[in-house]
Amino acid sequence: MRKSFFILLFAMFSVLTSFAQNTIVKGSVLDGTTGEPIPGVTITIEETGQVVKTDANGEFQFPGIVPLGEQVLKVEKIDYETKRYPIVVNEGKTVDISGMTLDYDSSDKKDLFIISISDDNLNSEDDGLTDNISGLLQASRDVFLNAAAFDFSATFFRPRGLDNSNGKVLINGIEMNKQFSGRPQWGNWGGVNDVQRNQEFTMGMSANDYTFGDLAGSNNIIMRASKYRKGGRVSFASANRSYTGRVMGSYNSGILKGGWSYSVLASRRYGAEGFADGTLYDSNSFFAAVEKRINDKHSLNFTIIYAQNRRGRSTAITQEVFNLKGNTYNPLWGEQDGEIRNSRVREISEPIFMLNHFWDISSKTKLNTNVAYQFGSIGNTRVDNGGTRLVDFNGQSSYVGGARNPDPSYYQNLPSYHLRFPNLTPYNYQQAYLSEQEFRNDGQFDWNALYQGNDIARNQGGNSIYAIQEDRNDDTQFSINTILDTELTDRIRLNANLSYRNLKSENFAELKDLLGGTGFLDVDFFAQETAGGTAVSLEDLAQSDTNNPDRIVQEGDRYKYNYDINAEVISAFTQAQFKYTKIDFYVGANFSQTSYQRNGLYENGNFINNSFGKGKQLDFSNYGAKAGATYKVTGRHLIDVNTSYFTKAPTIRNSYSNARQNNNTVTGLDSEITQAIDLSYIYRSPIVKARLTGFYSGFENGTDVGFYFTEDLAGLGIDQGDAFVQEVTTNIGRRNIGVELGIEAQITPTIKLKGAASFGQYTFTNNPNLYLTSDDFEGELTFGDGTTNLKDLHVAGGPERAYQIGFEYRDPDYWWIGATSNFFSNAYVDASGLRRSTNFVTDYDSLPINGYDEDIARDLLQQEQFDGYMLVNIVGGKSWRIDGYYLGFFATVNNVFNESFRTGGFEQSRLGTYDRVLEDTSRPNGEVFGSRYFFGNGTTYYLNVYVRF
Amino acid sequence: MNLNKILLLLLSVVVLSACVQDDDFETPNVTIIEPILEGPVVTMGSIVGDLIQQQNEDDNLENEVINFDNETSVVIYDFEGGNSDFIAGYVISSDEGGNFFEEMIIQDKLENPTIGVKLLIDVNPLFTRYEVGRKIYIKLDGLAVGITNGLLTLGTNSGGGPDKIPATLEDATIFRSAETGTLVPLPLEIIEFANDKTNLFIQLQNVQFNRDEVLGEEPNTFAAEPLDEFDGERILESCITGSSTIFSTSTFADFKSLLLPTTSGSMNVILTKNFFGSEFNVSINSPADVNIDSGDRCDPAEFFTDTTVNCDDMTLPGSNLLLSEDFQSYSDTGELVAGGWTLINIGGGSYTWGLDNFGTNNYVIANAFNSDENNIDTWLISPAFDLDSTAEDVLNFDIQTNFDGGEVLAVYISTNFIDIETDSNWSLLEDANIPSGPSGGFGNFQAAGPINTSCIIGSSARIAFRYTGSDSGITTRYHLDNIEITGN
Repeated sequence: MRKSFFILLFAMFSVLTSFAQNTIVKGSVLDGTTGEPIPGVTITIEETGQVVKTDANGEFQFPGIVPLGEQVLKVEKIDYETKRYPIVVNEGKTVDISGMTLDYDSSDKKDLFIISISDDNLNSEDDGLTDNISGLLQASRDVFLNAAAFDFSATFFRPRGLDNSNGKVLINGIEMNKQFSGRPQWGNWGGVNDVQRNQEFTMGMSANDYTFGDLAGSNNIIMRASKYRKGGRVSFASANRSYTGRVMGSYNSGILKGGWSYSVLASRRYGAEGFADGTLYDSNSFFAAVEKRINDKHSLNFTIIYAQNRRGRSTAITQEVFNLKGNTYNPLWGEQDGEIRNSRVREISEPIFMLNHFWDISSKTKLNTNVAYQFGSIGNTRVDNGGTRLVDFNGQSSYVGGARNPDPSYYQNLPSYHLRFPNLTPYNYQQAYLSEQEFRNDGQFDWNALYQGNDIARNQGGNSIYAIQEDRNDDTQFSINTILDTELTDRIRLNANLSYRNLKSENFAELKDLLGGTGFLDVDFFAQETAGGTAVSLEDLAQSDTNNPDRIVQEGDRYKYNYDINAEVISAFTQAQFKYTKIDFYVGANFSQTSYQRNGLYENGNFINNSFGKGKQLDFSNYGAKAGATYKVTGRHLIDVNTSYFTKAPTIRNSYSNARQNNNTVTGLDSEITQAIDLSYIYRSPIVKARLTGFYSGFENGTDVGFYFTEDLAGLGIDQGDAFVQEVTTNIGRRNIGVELGIEAQITPTIKLKGAASFGQYTFTNNPNLYLTSDDFEGELTFGDGTTNLKDLHVAGGPERAYQIGFEYRDPDYWWIGATSNFFSNAYVDASGLRRSTNFVTDYDSLPINGYDEDIARDLLQQEQFDGYMLVNIVGGKSWRIDGYYLGFFATVNNVFNESFRTGGFEQSRLGTYDRVLEDTSRPNGEVFGSRYFFGNGTTYYLNVYVRF
Repeated sequence: MNLNKILLLLLSVVVLSACVQDDDFETPNVTIIEPILEGPVVTMGSIVGDLIQQQNEDDNLENEVINFDNETSVVIYDFEGGNSDFIAGYVISSDEGGNFFEEMIIQDKLENPTIGVKLLIDVNPLFTRYEVGRKIYIKLDGLAVGITNGLLTLGTNSGGGPDKIPATLEDATIFRSAETGTLVPLPLEIIEFANDKTNLFIQLQNVQFNRDEVLGEEPNTFAAEPLDEFDGERILESCITGSSTIFSTSTFADFKSLLLPTTSGSMNVILTKNFFGSEFNVSINSPADVNIDSGDRCDPAEFFTDTTVNCDDMTLPGSNLLLSEDFQSYSDTGELVAGGWTLINIGGGSYTWGLDNFGTNNYVIANAFNSDENNIDTWLISPAFDLDSTAEDVLNFDIQTNFDGGEVLAVYISTNFIDIETDSNWSLLEDANIPSGPSGGFGNFQAAGPINTSCIIGSSARIAFRYTGSDSGITTRYHLDNIEITGN
């Protein structure tokens, strides 16, 4: 609509400049390889910023008035190399530049980072530390966001300190973020990269045609059969980061006679282990879409995405373990019969079915209605070492058995444990030395020991002591929405979206493998009668389901916990976009109604009246408003501002303190309130593109639920401080503030220099409320005034500062190479809330700890800041055209200098009081319960070879 | 069409390449193969012999048995690179229930064992590899044997006696035999407990938990009482001999919260010692070892002692002897019992009055010092005598009070005592004054009495001397002699 600008110009300068109504600039764009027309190419007159897009035939025409004289047309489309064409516009003449070609961008960068993103996501513990938003950013052409997506993502850098749940991912207009965590499950569409090239990304909260959006941006992936370029592609990739190999083949029909089009893709990704040892990768992905153009106004598209993925996981380790074993070490696997077997495998299998209806009501109004159905499961395995047998003793039940955590990096297996004493004997040193040797030389999971134990148990008629438990999350989700896009006037465009989503989430543990045993007794091995005695006896307390006590479960049975969550979300969104000569602006608003209800299928022995059946229904009403503007100082200088205020319903995971055991909802649960503003200066000349942005986001009423084992709960009596707890933090206030800069300069036609920087500070703004729940004590445990002193601490999650410089050389002979150097700093450890509550200064008897020294305490609670580090990445590729086939390769080497670095970490709340933390941190031979860290990958490579036809 | 060929190619590539281990792992073969030992197997007796020899060397003695009080002598096995000796034994303890931790007790034979040893090892759990009844071989090289906590113990040589074998050396030290069998517990009475029977799997028959443990409002638990720290110690007593011992359960045991059985029966236990090595203890592997569900209890009858009697002073006592005892005719307590005297401790322990002599004079003695018992309530009850047909009857006796730390002796009289299994009523003789003695040594016999008993009527009267000393409290030592009742 920028023609309005020229109308204004005309009005202002009509005396000086002559324009003619019949001056026309038109043309068409073809694929440089196949000669097929390319739809959706953006054509810009650089001088004025006028923009049009090519239609389905690859043709375009600038409507209205065009500037006269020598002009440059910029021709660009995602996945193609951008070209600039000089033209001369003469008054009253038609400039027809048909047959401009665009060459397919062979860099395939997106493959790389989509893969890495979905892999990070697969490996994440849903802990908020390892997730990454850069998947969102890949579709952006913004210099800074490109750096964030391609070069910063390896270290969990989060633009503006925002994580995955702050971004929206849509496929064909349907939101894909999970209601459970708020995050998109990238694995659900991993491995179908070739059919995800059509993406519409909206930065931050700026205007988006489909959704209200979120702070980190919104990305709509268009997977419609008719939108794919005709042709096929076969590729093979080799890498050492997550998978070792990938084969992928796809074919798109283009639009066939009768208005049909279809697209298919199959791929397989595999690997015995990735960069971390023992992380198997086993994934098959399929995609099919078929679309029928019924008539000029109606199209119907059907899409199936089935990405099945099985992945061996790795975990955070302490510095001591890292020092002994290095950054590829993974304690979760061991050999069985000469094969690697990982004890923690995540398997995702959630096919998506979509029916999309596109209705062009008029040339100015479109209505898009979508229905999606998704079902399947996510499973995470772990070793259950709590197998017992029932011993009936004169009518009383007791459960004997259970074994210690078989983790090879268990703290008692490490040298620091043997050297934890103040006065060490030669015997201690011997034990430390032997354990160090053992850990260095082996240090892997001992599967045979588990089978041996079960064999002994079985021979004595007992149940399995060890088993593989799979925590399952089987979701069935139905979504429907309708999206309106209409041009009210030349200047005003209206978008609206009405959505409904219904989710039934079945959550349970399934016995996956008895490891040679004959059955597993479904009781809680750790159940203990509370000191002082309660009315409930151990044999009741220990039951996972008191309705079926002392049940022996078999492989495939549900056990331990079993509940459903039913969730419903209704939302409405509307937005108006205004385009004027000097200024574009938008306003938008949304409203949504969210409800959750837990339905317990087991009656847990610890929570007899509060676990079985339906719990309280949670209802949240949420609303939001946003507005923004782009002020065009000139075509080269722009000022852009976006503001928003909205509330967001808590996710399911943050709504229940311990949904596995009871119906309790989080006390003080509230919708999070977000307010944000960003202000950018954008400069774009034919040579230099730059953006400088200052941003602020404030969050109030945040909620977080975490789980851990601690030894140090104050006030429960001597030796009574041990508990497996749920830590519920509410009323969390956070502030993200900073600036980011992206700049690139095309200094010669072949050489481009680029730079990016982000300088932020992401901190807590208040002392949130904290309480603990557990089956080891009654009710909610709070400390002091019920808060934890997090104010001014940094919110963990990647480096707050990141800088990049780099270059790209693109040879006319179809090869190119680029390198970047990236420096990161100011990443912080995830601070323990328990340690920063009054618990820290309180002894077991509720009195202050003797000898408490505030200065020492301040040192102990100083939030650890990780060292800065530099990562150098190199990318390059080449392509050939042979008889209509297009052959190419693309390769990258990340972290060329094999820098060792921490991407994140967290303090262990196992020790939670001043005296215990002081004791542990003062040990000359290292902490026993030191913080756990995620270490970044060393040097990795990725190589992709492909053929297109 | 090209497409088909390429898709076919792709499909075959997918199928042929890219095998990733699936999650269907076969159960590995975990059958135990008889190990080939690189060295001779010696008897467990030989390590006992080695220790006796070492103790004799250290203390310049010529003992033929282990001195279980010697916790300093240690035998260190070092075969200097040559083949190590091995010992073989059968596992009798299990940490499955959490009652044993980082230790494993083995004995030499499945049946009629003669030697048991405790192996210390820094491994948990052990029951997943070494089940009860499994034969194992232990490589002695690098190990040490000695007495720790009063028990024969094998462990790594830590320089200060046997200590836990590091977990990393488990595989190189303990070898599992393919042989496994069923243990036959050795029947043993509590009074037969002895050092050389420790670390053995024994059976206690006809035992019960002391009435104070189980006959309250609710029986005590194995080890989940508020005062239990580390271990729950419960008094277990024999219905056959009346003697008692400590039944010890770890507060980390899975079954600590079970209520103790209230009846009597048998149990299979391991004879061990308390942490200090000072007292015999018995411990179980699992509650299934306790087979007490229906047997009758054998509690001593209740002695009701809430009355006192005072017949006032009398001018002229009678002269007929109703009871006269100078203890000269007895050579042990068995003969004393046969002579009509009853000895009992109703405090739960096993210490009772006994017979003693100085020179040629016999007397009875009560002395808590070195008794190892803190709740002594021992009664010396006389044979019956008839007070119905007499008048002016008085009690006289001689008493020697030694090492006097306080009065812990009282004299009672009963007219309805039949035996210790029947309730009886006892009245305190208020007139019976117990003289005090020197606190740091022996006193002299003094006459106590006459004590008027003429106001008491009964055809079957008995007097009793009740001693309530405590090894940790008042240990006053009493000698009694020449007990006489006279009347007309």
